[in-house]
Amino acid sequence: MSAGALTPVQAARAAARRERGRAPTLYLRLAVVLAWVLLPAAGPSFQVLDLAVKIALFGALAASYDVVLGYTGIVSFGHAMFFGFGAYAVALAVGRLGAPTYGHLLLGFLAGIAVSAVVAAAVGAFSLRVKALFFAMITLAFAEFALILAVQWGALTGGEDGLSPKLPGVFAAGAPGALGLSGRLVTYYTLLAMCLGLFLLMSRFVHSPLGRTLQAIRDNELRAEALGYRTFVFQLVATSFGSVVATVLGGGYVMWVRYVNPESALGIPIMLDVLLMVIIGGIGTLHGGVVGAAILLTARTLLPNLRGLGGSLFAGSEILQRLSERWLLYFGILFVLVVFFFPRGVLGTLREAAARRRGPAAPGT
Amino acid sequence: MRRVLPLAVGAALLLLLPLGAIEPRAWLTLTVAGLAMGMLIFLVASGLTLIFGLMDVLNFAHGALFSWGAYAGFTVAVAINGRWGWAASPSIWLNAGLLLLAVAAAVAVAFTLGVALERVIVRPVYGQHLFQILITLGATIVLEELIRVAWGPNDQVMPVPATFQGSWDVADVVVLRFPAIAIGLGLLVYGSMQWVLTRTRVGLIVRAGVENREMVQVMGHDIHRYFTAVFAAGSGLAGLGGLMWGMFSQSIRPSMGGEQLIFALIVVIIGGLGSVTGSLVGALLVGLAYNYVAYLVPKAAIGVTMGIMVLVLLVRPTGLYGAGK
Repeated sequence: MSAGALTPVQAARAAARRERGRAPTLYLRLAVVLAWVLLPAAGPSFQVLDLAVKIALFGALAASYDVVLGYTGIVSFGHAMFFGFGAYAVALAVGRLGAPTYGHLLLGFLAGIAVSAVVAAAVGAFSLRVKALFFAMITLAFAEFALILAVQWGALTGGEDGLSPKLPGVFAAGAPGALGLSGRLVTYYTLLAMCLGLFLLMSRFVHSPLGRTLQAIRDNELRAEALGYRTFVFQLVATSFGSVVATVLGGGYVMWVRYVNPESALGIPIMLDVLLMVIIGGIGTLHGGVVGAAILLTARTLLPNLRGLGGSLFAGSEILQRLSERWLLYFGILFVLVVFFFPRGVLGTLREAAARRRGPAAPGT
Repeated sequence: MRRVLPLAVGAALLLLLPLGAIEPRAWLTLTVAGLAMGMLIFLVASGLTLIFGLMDVLNFAHGALFSWGAYAGFTVAVAINGRWGWAASPSIWLNAGLLLLAVAAAVAVAFTLGVALERVIVRPVYGQHLFQILITLGATIVLEELIRVAWGPNDQVMPVPATFQGSWDVADVVVLRFPAIAIGLGLLVYGSMQWVLTRTRVGLIVRAGVENREMVQVMGHDIHRYFTAVFAAGSGLAGLGGLMWGMFSQSIRPSMGGEQLIFALIVVIIGGLGSVTGSLVGALLVGLAYNYVAYLVPKAAIGVTMGIMVLVLLVRPTGLYGAGK
């Protein structure tokens, strides 16, 4: 290697750049994106289209959580709260300010981002100063508070019933729209572009010098501090960034389902889902979020059929019937098993296996 | 002494402050209810802070153990009441016997679950905070769902012994009976925890383990056995808290543990991680403030606990009694 005058970091980057065009996963990723783009042409049922959008949205949401959890090493239970902030901000701006316009939509996104950035910075400032562990507890408390607020403040948020805003212009349900696409499909492609853009942004974020510093803090906080990095500021930036991305995705979610209520946008179950997606897909892999979201959401879509099967199989026994109804129980067991035996998740385990096959001398590992 | 004086002044101020807005008799009732609520939260928070203080494990399954304690006590209470009618009987001895048996069942079940959790799930992940949180969260889901499988997903009515229902009239002041008992029990638990931790050999080793785990091992003590014991004791406290809370609110449901865990977490943060006295003070603070505010401005009640937490963290980021590491 003619590393010569290059610093180790520069050498590593140069190696990564050389590998970039040759990585087989690049074509895999492009193929996945292409599949998403071409899916509507196959004329699928609404259920399949819905699943595709939700996998994209939740995959990106899980990835944004991974930025906080996997790359920064901070456990947050408030990520769904920021998702909910975005959802409520867009729903309120579009639904409560008179006839919906594009301006209102934009305003909703901007307001959501602003609120999330302020709250994330405030929560981080309170908790990250002491211990990253505090963050888990305080975000949990804040998330619960946000949920209660959304339920109690019915005059604004619609309480338990939630809001169902109408979208403006080409996004509206019955709109003929540009290029002969229906409102649904325009929304589909808009959200797809949004998720792709956010993914590229997050990928850039974690591979930037800032992202590398975050990983250094995650792996050895004392050492990073000793090297002169202000770990608190870096952690604050990372959690705020992840929260803002989640907020944008929350807005996107409302654009697709056109409905928001406390349980579906702010609740602890959403948080658990996202956590599961990251764990199943692989902590610290970013793209693992999509794998996790695909597995979890597909399973959930197929589950009602299984539930019916369980009901007919165990018609005699009440306990067995209840056991077949509690899908969350199996997710919990699956979760514990994955954490125990595949702590790196699907993608992490695959990458490890691939790295082992290439041999220890392979560059860029 | 330096620490006791500002605390006493603060407590007196906090207790007397709402008198400006609430008439004295309602204030007294609210204070008793607030102290009782605080003591019940303390039972949960003390176990949490004990486990965190010694073992450095953030145990999110604590709330699930709370629920399990409540359901175990509920089952025993219903069974006894169904066969012999101890809860409905006017005899104070039969009533107390029912309460004691229910408490024993709750503590025993939570204790056993605690031992199992520590051995199977927590032990492999000591020192890895991220995995501790994840794995105890997974355990929470499983334990809560198992409650739904075994007892059904709906609310159940908790039988409360007749003697402990209603209220005593003490000098024209209504003192609810069950809260009064809860306060007594909370003080008892606090006293015995302090006694064990500061006056006995076991407590000495446990406290030494908090300071320096390796040193204690070098001295020839099997720290793992103490870890299991502390984890199980904390779990037993959660179970006790669950049963008492179930009797206090007279109904139980599978998700009750998760809701109380939020309160307990806030209390532990306010009091400072690892401090038993801190969790007592934090719990009483939260219980009293919650009741006063719920009386004056019902909708702001949940916000006030958050407000206290934010305020404490602003002044002392490690909590009132935190070690500050």
